[in-house]
Amino acid sequence: MTAPLGPLSWILLWPIIGIAFIFLTPKDKISWIRWIANIMVFLSFALALEVFFSYDRTAGGYQFIDKIPWVKPLGISYHVGVDGINSVLVLLQAFCSLAGILVTRSIKERVKEYYILYLMLIIGVYGVFLSLDLFFLYFFYEMAVMPVYLLIGVWGSTDKEYATMKLTLYLTGGAVLALIALLALYAGTGLGTFDLVAIQQHLAANPLSPQLQNWIFPVIVVGFGVIVTLWPFYTWSPVGYAAAPTSVSMLHAGVLKKLGAYAILRLGIQLMPQAAQIWMPWVATLAVLNILYCGLISLTQKDMKFILGYSSCSHMGYILLGLACLNTIGLNGVVFLIFAHGIMAALGFALVGAFYDQTHTRNLDDLGGLAKRMPFVATCFTMAAMASAGLPGFANFIAEVMILLGAWDKYRWQAILAVLGIVVTAVYMLKAVRLVFHGPLPAKWTHVTDAKTIFQRLPYALLILVLLAVGFWPSLILRNIEVGTKPILEQLEHQSTGTPVHQAKR
Amino acid sequence: MIPTIHWNLISLEVYLSFILALLIVMDILIPKNSKNWIGSLSFAGLLGLFLLWLQQYQLWGQTFGGMFIVDSLAWFFKGFFLLAMFFVFVMTHQFFRSMGQRRDEFYLLLWSSLLGMLLVASSADFLLLFISIEILTLSLYVMTAYLKSDKHSIEAGMKYLILGALASGLFLYGISFVYGASHSTRFAEIQKFVMASPQDPMLLFGFILIFSAVGFKIASVPFHLWVPDVYQGAPTPVTALLSVGSKAAGFVILLRLLWIVFAPLHQQWAVALAILSAVTMCYGNLAAIPQKNIKRLLGFSSIGHAGYLLMGAAAGSTLGGGAISFYLLGYLFTNLCAFLVIVLYFAAAKSDEIADYSGLSQRSPILACALFLALMSLAGIPPLAGFFGKFTLFVATVQSGFIWLAFVGAANVIISLYYYLMVVKKIYMDPPVSAYPISVSWPVRLTLWFAMAGIIGIGIFQGPFLDAALAAVKGMF
Repeated sequence: MTAPLGPLSWILLWPIIGIAFIFLTPKDKISWIRWIANIMVFLSFALALEVFFSYDRTAGGYQFIDKIPWVKPLGISYHVGVDGINSVLVLLQAFCSLAGILVTRSIKERVKEYYILYLMLIIGVYGVFLSLDLFFLYFFYEMAVMPVYLLIGVWGSTDKEYATMKLTLYLTGGAVLALIALLALYAGTGLGTFDLVAIQQHLAANPLSPQLQNWIFPVIVVGFGVIVTLWPFYTWSPVGYAAAPTSVSMLHAGVLKKLGAYAILRLGIQLMPQAAQIWMPWVATLAVLNILYCGLISLTQKDMKFILGYSSCSHMGYILLGLACLNTIGLNGVVFLIFAHGIMAALGFALVGAFYDQTHTRNLDDLGGLAKRMPFVATCFTMAAMASAGLPGFANFIAEVMILLGAWDKYRWQAILAVLGIVVTAVYMLKAVRLVFHGPLPAKWTHVTDAKTIFQRLPYALLILVLLAVGFWPSLILRNIEVGTKPILEQLEHQSTGTPVHQAKR
Repeated sequence: MIPTIHWNLISLEVYLSFILALLIVMDILIPKNSKNWIGSLSFAGLLGLFLLWLQQYQLWGQTFGGMFIVDSLAWFFKGFFLLAMFFVFVMTHQFFRSMGQRRDEFYLLLWSSLLGMLLVASSADFLLLFISIEILTLSLYVMTAYLKSDKHSIEAGMKYLILGALASGLFLYGISFVYGASHSTRFAEIQKFVMASPQDPMLLFGFILIFSAVGFKIASVPFHLWVPDVYQGAPTPVTALLSVGSKAAGFVILLRLLWIVFAPLHQQWAVALAILSAVTMCYGNLAAIPQKNIKRLLGFSSIGHAGYLLMGAAAGSTLGGGAISFYLLGYLFTNLCAFLVIVLYFAAAKSDEIADYSGLSQRSPILACALFLALMSLAGIPPLAGFFGKFTLFVATVQSGFIWLAFVGAANVIISLYYYLMVVKKIYMDPPVSAYPISVSWPVRLTLWFAMAGIIGIGIFQGPFLDAALAAVKGMF
């Protein structure tokens, strides 16, 4: 007997149905295509909200599970479910994808193809955070490669061909590296299953041998580290985001990039806590390099999207630093920052897109005084900049404070240097706001218009509301996060002393 | 005593020989200007063969005193060859229509090569194996040099003939050594001998020689030298047949020899095969980067794929064998889809240069989409067939302990992705070389859809196909 598919499967299915419909729609019926895509993404969004709010925190664990055996000889099953962490990440993806598909209105060429590829990307990102099977996690992640390559290469700007090739090769390289590590893990457990839950339970009781952990863990960290722009593997990211069309930068910088941190947490730290204790101090040091090095590069940039790109690499440093803490407040801060930074990054890229569509330049020297023409966009951008700089009231503040507190005991020097990074962020963000939106308005930009209709304003307003809501009421997502990180922390506690969980409980 | 012949086991081959004979007679009797029916008859014949093949399922057994066997592996690959031949027929039809040349003998040669491939799949005796390989290869020699006015085609045919003859010589020489050691050419007998005395030097020497000949068929380093020129020079349907049919035939032999006959020697050949696999894929993928001709590019890429496939052989497990069979099945749809696009594009533009593929997406969305999916599947990107093939090969490799080989494979995925994406860039991002749209007729369009459905279907619903591939290897005898 098979149970009907739960909400999580439908989150994935709606965009697939959307692709099928758009495929059958004639090329020139652009408004139909838009409506189909918007509705399908909205349906997924609504389901994601429902899942987030009805997640049972007292029960904890994985919920809304759908499980279908897929490839029996290898132990692969289609297995989706969310725990506290995933429910927050899925919510992040829900907001970013909805804002992204609304912003996609600005695409005017080869619209049909764009929407099909963009929906594929959305499915891929949702799939990554919903999968509880190592194979499907990897499958969905790599699935994003194909649409992203074309989306950037065909619809992108600045140096798009170079950028898209670089991005694709870096990300695939990292992913394939991680894949070998995951396969070694699969072979190492001897279970013959890719089921993450089964592997977690097995490894909690019987950890892998230290030799095995000690090479698998760093390979996973570096492999997925490429995606989360671990220094020195970050160079693909600013170039890629600068070239990508707005809605792709939003999803990529906002959500997909965070997959790296999620995977290091879920597959690295949770499955191999002993190796994590050994290797994470190295990551903490690299994280500081991320924060300061990329932050300082960002100071020197002239192109608005490069500023945001380097800024996002720099902020990934906080996430990595938080991961390295391996304590409650640090890990909770990581997931919180993933959410906060995701929304902020999507908002930032969306707003740059809002004026770039009209000015066709993002160079700080050419711009100025745009606030006079587009007050709404200017206000939103200023708020995003404040959020990025960690101003209290925005979600980012809480997350960064949590991570710094978590790092204080373990990595004193790194934490102090990381605080400097916040100052650097404030400098480049405020500089950008001043040069783009304030000062005299050059005559050539007098034709620029603001986001006027409700449809145009909706994506920005949505994201800002989320940032503020979570900033003022952190427990809205924090209580889910705490439920999610609890088992990981238990693992860390018990396995660092060498005793498996079930023995320690007795 | 004459052994009893089980006609139902050899029904495919008998039926095929009838078609072949019929075609030869008709070709002589019917006047030259009304020969279009040869193509139609070929398609009908293929359909009949396919039905016969279906009916042969689970009809395992052996005949001619154990010389000819039908087991799960033979059955799986016979279906494989029939499917491949269907695509090649479609290509042939399109290719020669655009060349305006006679194509009747060409169909005859395709049929005889199919006969060779089917026999290879069923051979359980070195002599029969040798004869079947020769049937296949001789047809390929002639077909490669078929375009008499094209000097590249002639050169390719010559090159293939000389190196192929050398490989055949090595093969026979190897058989003679194996026979000298074991006093038999029958696989079952040799297997018994190998189990009894696995260290026999004469046997090992013979095995190495035989492997060299098989290496020539699958285009593995160092027996790959013929590949680029022959792939580029041969008529495109022949290139397609070489890259899928002939390669798969090589792997059927390899599966039978390594998994059954020489299985006790696993320890000795595993490391050697792993090294060969690493060298082959690195060479194929690195050499593909600077290529300017799409057929040549796919030639080098096919060397790279031989390297990936050898990973499964190095693993030597059931999963490794299943991974090879599965990979080949995905490779069939993928590579033949690519070659079908090449044939169609050549028919419209008279060029195989990658530079001329610029802006294909604007001239013919379906050709561009088909080529894009095929290239991505070759690179191993989900949700396409090539991804899961590589994935299972990696699983098998890691499980057998060759972690370093898996890392080499991973590096090669990146290298190959680079040159495939360079072609994709041309198709989708560069401005078109000409504004004329390329029209694709409905039957061909359907074939393209079929190939794409195969690429995506196998990539998403991998289970049943992997089960079939594993069953093929498990049920070998």
